[in-house]
Amino acid sequence: MRSSTGLSRGVLLMFSFVLGLLATAGSSRAQNTPDIQVGVTISRDTIGLDETATLQIVVSGNTQDLPGPKVPTLPMFEVYSQGRSSNFSLVNGRIESSVTYRYLILPKKEGSYPIDNIAVVHQNKRYKGNAVSLTVLDQGTTSTPSLEAKASDKTGQSKDLFLEATVDNANPYVNEQVTLSLKFYIAVQFYGSPSLTGPTTTGFWTEVLRNTAPYHQKVGGRTYRVLERKYALFPTQTGVLQIGRAAITTTVATQSRRRDPFDVFGGIGRGKDVTVRSNPIRVEVKPLPETGRPEGYTGTIGKFSITAQADKTTVEVNQPVTVTINIRGVGNIKSVAEPTIPELDDFRVYRASSSESVSKPKDRIGGTKTFEEVFIPKRAGSLEIPAVHISFFDPEKKRFQTVETRPIKLEATKASGPAAEYEVPYAGPDMTLGAESREIRFIKEDPGELRPVGRILEHSALYVAVNAASVLLLVATVLVRVRREKLAGDVGYARARGASKQARKRLTKAKELARLESAEEFYSESCQVVVSYIADKLNVSPHGLTTDKVSGLLSRRAAAKELIEDTTAFLHNCDFARFAPSTVSQADIDQTLKQAEDIMVRMEGIKF
Amino acid sequence: MTVKIILCTTLLVLISLGSATAQSTDELFRQGNELFEAKQYDSAVAVYGDVVGKGLESAPLYFNLGNAYFRNGDLGRAILYYHKARRLDPDDEDIVGNLEFARRFTSVQMEGVKLNPISSLFGAIVEPYDLNFLAWVTSGFFILLFVLLTMRFGLNVRGLVVRSGLTVALIVVVTLSLLTTVKYDNDYRTPMAVVIAQEAVVRTGPSLLSDKELDAVPGLVVEILDETGEFYNVLFENKRRGWIEKDLVAVI
Repeated sequence: MRSSTGLSRGVLLMFSFVLGLLATAGSSRAQNTPDIQVGVTISRDTIGLDETATLQIVVSGNTQDLPGPKVPTLPMFEVYSQGRSSNFSLVNGRIESSVTYRYLILPKKEGSYPIDNIAVVHQNKRYKGNAVSLTVLDQGTTSTPSLEAKASDKTGQSKDLFLEATVDNANPYVNEQVTLSLKFYIAVQFYGSPSLTGPTTTGFWTEVLRNTAPYHQKVGGRTYRVLERKYALFPTQTGVLQIGRAAITTTVATQSRRRDPFDVFGGIGRGKDVTVRSNPIRVEVKPLPETGRPEGYTGTIGKFSITAQADKTTVEVNQPVTVTINIRGVGNIKSVAEPTIPELDDFRVYRASSSESVSKPKDRIGGTKTFEEVFIPKRAGSLEIPAVHISFFDPEKKRFQTVETRPIKLEATKASGPAAEYEVPYAGPDMTLGAESREIRFIKEDPGELRPVGRILEHSALYVAVNAASVLLLVATVLVRVRREKLAGDVGYARARGASKQARKRLTKAKELARLESAEEFYSESCQVVVSYIADKLNVSPHGLTTDKVSGLLSRRAAAKELIEDTTAFLHNCDFARFAPSTVSQADIDQTLKQAEDIMVRMEGIKF
Repeated sequence: MTVKIILCTTLLVLISLGSATAQSTDELFRQGNELFEAKQYDSAVAVYGDVVGKGLESAPLYFNLGNAYFRNGDLGRAILYYHKARRLDPDDEDIVGNLEFARRFTSVQMEGVKLNPISSLFGAIVEPYDLNFLAWVTSGFFILLFVLLTMRFGLNVRGLVVRSGLTVALIVVVTLSLLTTVKYDNDYRTPMAVVIAQEAVVRTGPSLLSDKELDAVPGLVVEILDETGEFYNVLFENKRRGWIEKDLVAVI
């Protein structure tokens, strides 16, 4: 039985291991699957026979080793590579890289040619780019009469350089995109980067779309190099508006009449600054039609779709559910207003945040705007967040449209934890923040102990004293114990420590005996005061201490000479008086007592 | 004699002044309560604010001030003062209840993951207790530890009770000291603030020219990580961070 259990456990472990391996392999495989895109753009869709266009191929993906594109054979064109540029970023562990390849295209023959089948091959998989087409005109130029007029001066001579501004729509609706193209034509050598002063666009909200790759165009029989920048303009008011002049300043080469034979560079670097200006453009902005305008329309123009997604579908009452509403499409995404969410009986709704990302596909401004709304269920049960809608005006179809999200179904369960414990709101219609709120617990009647702001207990004297006292108690008792143990175990130490005390006792006794009737005992005691003190300090017997020995001990302890002499004299006097007490007077006794006291005081200063 | 009279008079004056101050702050507090009951929340805020302006604090004072702000519709400051009240009395159910209640009104919820589980565990353990309580309990065991040390090493008592008591007291003192330190760190050393402005843009850098990181809303609690000029570098509960103008938040 046991072995069977062990076996099944082993099989289970192995099964788990294999499953884990599979999961790991699967996840790494999922992570390693490259996501590669190929984007193909052409700077111009129509050119003349003597003109050029730039083909741009952008290969992007989540891998570092992006493959190069295979450009199909284009028999009707001469194709020259103009180099490549690459970009790499690593955000949150995710690799984003892109490589841009540029090719200059020169047509050989007129006609309309599709350019497709541009692809890259990575890990035996083919990633195909989008198709573009290029029309080559037989008359040899794409320039219009107005452009040719612009390219020549009053005398009919062609200009070396000029700036042209055009719009794709001079009669837009308010807030509809107008694309402004600024083209800088230059047929002579120039140095450095031309400096652009943008046009004034009062009455428009403006966004730069892109700079196109330089190309060549024939105007009036002369080939110009063209630098182009495109702007997206959104008129913010109706009526006649004017896009002002733009200006470009650049340094062009000048021809020197006298050639310097020593100038090996042939005059490179010499030039003069020239400024050219574009023509102003008149734009007549139409108002939106009044008919068919939906209720709550906020002025959005373009073409949009809307989706909504909840972060969870089961939630406790009083707990938030975040619903992410995405609006994406083409149009001025920044002007898209937040969708209106009606008052809901089952939910309390809070606006959380909004973000937007702008994209510019095919020179049209668009993108995504995201709103996060928080819905908090008021009751348990099956609830529904209703559809949210937005309305916009579609300028292509010239009519208003309304799109909406799908309703979101939620399962709200009964609250638990703090939400239930504190009788949180949202159970009644009048539960609001502000004066009408009834739910907060009522104010306290007693102010409590009002103390200085920020006073912390650890900083109070009482707290420090109480804690310090316990430490001091320990230190004191340990010291006492150590002293006691030393006194008990070391007689010499005990005698030395008690010497002064014993001497004082003897001195007191001597004072009591300081009378003529007890002169002998007095002198004996006085002598002992000094002798016993020294004996105790040095832990020797007082009985063998003669006056000479005392004198010798004191001198070894570096006592003052006067003290040694006074002590010796004192002891001699005491000895003499002890054996002839009848010769002393009361004055002598008082004098001796004074001397004893004096000597004792002076001996306290000696280190024994 | 004259000196004694002067000393006594000074002492009496000081005592009466202290008593008058206590009386006046208590009186102000009750006046604030009356205004609150009369639904004059603006005035109640001003009167409670006068007591705070005298450099005094108490949990009931902050709690009532939070209530007055809440009824006045100022969610950010209501949450600010509930937090201040809870710091002084974390065990008070009214304070915790109203704070929980008020926080549900913040239009953005940012309660997030706890990045440091050990720190969070200690924080959760000490949360219901105020610092003074923890400090006194620690102090009690500290004194007990030293009394036992005194018995063992001062009075040379070698009994089993003393020896076991010493081990237990030492472990308890070390643990409580650690918890008290965590509490002190959480309550006083980690600067926290509440967003009080209705519109508070959190930016990617300490400048009004920096890009917007996110929109904060009144009542959100942030940790102040750094400050420079007019900006705080703040960390939200969901671990998002950014720079916010100092005027838009109030330090707890």
